[in-house]
Amino acid sequence: MMRRVVLTAFVFFVGALAPTILAGAADPAAVINNLGNRALEVLGKNATPGQRVARFHELFREDFDVPGIARFVLGRYWKTATAQQQEEFIKLFEDYIALVYSSQLSAYSGETLKVTGSRADQEGAIVASEIIRPTGAPPVKVEWHLTDQHGTYKIRDVAVDGISMAVTQRSEFASVIQRNGGQVQGLIAMLREKTGSASGR
Amino acid sequence: MNLRPLCLVFSNLLLLLALMLSGCATPSNNPQAEAAEAEDFNDPLEDINRKIFDFNQVVDRNVLVPVAKAYRTVLPDPVRDSLRDFLRNLREPLIFASDALQGEFERAGQTFARFTLNSTLGMAGFIDVAGRWGELPYHEDDFGLTLGVWGVPEGPYVVVPVLGPSTPRDLGGQVAEGFGDPFTRLVTGNPYNLYWIPVLRGGVSGIDQRSRYIETLADIERTSLDFYATIRSLYRQRRAALIRHEKEQNLPPPASFSRNDSPVGPVNRLPQAAMVVEMPTVSEVSR
Repeated sequence: MMRRVVLTAFVFFVGALAPTILAGAADPAAVINNLGNRALEVLGKNATPGQRVARFHELFREDFDVPGIARFVLGRYWKTATAQQQEEFIKLFEDYIALVYSSQLSAYSGETLKVTGSRADQEGAIVASEIIRPTGAPPVKVEWHLTDQHGTYKIRDVAVDGISMAVTQRSEFASVIQRNGGQVQGLIAMLREKTGSASGR
Repeated sequence: MNLRPLCLVFSNLLLLLALMLSGCATPSNNPQAEAAEAEDFNDPLEDINRKIFDFNQVVDRNVLVPVAKAYRTVLPDPVRDSLRDFLRNLREPLIFASDALQGEFERAGQTFARFTLNSTLGMAGFIDVAGRWGELPYHEDDFGLTLGVWGVPEGPYVVVPVLGPSTPRDLGGQVAEGFGDPFTRLVTGNPYNLYWIPVLRGGVSGIDQRSRYIETLADIERTSLDFYATIRSLYRQRRAALIRHEKEQNLPPPASFSRNDSPVGPVNRLPQAAMVVEMPTVSEVSR
């Protein structure tokens, strides 16, 4: 089970790696394929956990559609938030994601990514892939949801075995807000605390 | 004495309770927003559910995880995998029935072949011959999924004491499995009434499952803002994805995920085992 979270993290990491490849690419499948290879290079090079975290954070910002994801995960509360809250939320969300997924990276153990198909959807493209495990265990199915922003593909969601990261976070955040009397500020405070305590390590 | 019917009655009561209570969520001063939210979560019993969830967490921390860790330490990986394969094999008749009831005859055929091969060549299932050499990978299936495929709505989210996340639909499926499992009938439906065998089977299944998810769950809990809400979402999404897969044609069976290797319905599922297995982040891999 460890493995799965690790892979999820890995997937995020992979996606975070390649702004250059993504830029203007015509074929989303090739894009993700390329990402996989590049990610392996970095992961394979005995980078220290600290370096991986730093790189992950930076690349997540570059290659994921962070504002778009942030907006999605706030759901109906996006509109009730002030502009200032929205801005702070985007920043905190980015830190939070980095925290959540980077902690898993050190457990990477030789997985490779294989693109198995892709199709266009309203927002851009969906690329299906499998993470092949060196142990010979059944591959994990990962779907990448890309948004086409003026010819640049950015990742807007990752679904592992049918479970969407964005949907999960949206549900969690909505619950947090609801339990704070419907106030977005409550969520922001919790994110501050979570990411603040982490950066103090 | 046979504990199984008792437990079945118990889970039936829970089910009824859930259904009744779901009809009487408390009104609020902002009905519209509340309604939208409630629909999202479909968790009218949230207050009770959270208390039970907390209780389950205590049981998990103090009983399940220590036992699972010991289990993982004592038994080498191949032995654990073999045990898991054996427990899965005991479930194959139920999986076969589920496949067939869903009209998935190809999958039913695969399950039948697996059960036959593994029960014989595979030494009563301890070696997954069919999966390893026969290109017939294990796939999960259960009566709850079957109900879903048939279009039965999942109903409100329910956290069952000790057993973890569920829905009336999945509980219903488990009750049916409890009655229908041929293995359980075999060992309890005789003069010796070996009820402890299904109990033991459930216990070992639960511990085996839990032992595979120790770090992942700990990580999710550590980084979650609201662990309860995260688990709720993961459970729902995973079940929905499994049902979708059931409906999709021409796709290979989702081999890597096991919802519930434990057998006999509610009785035998150990604390949080159910929850664990639902995790998105779970995979069935030997580590």
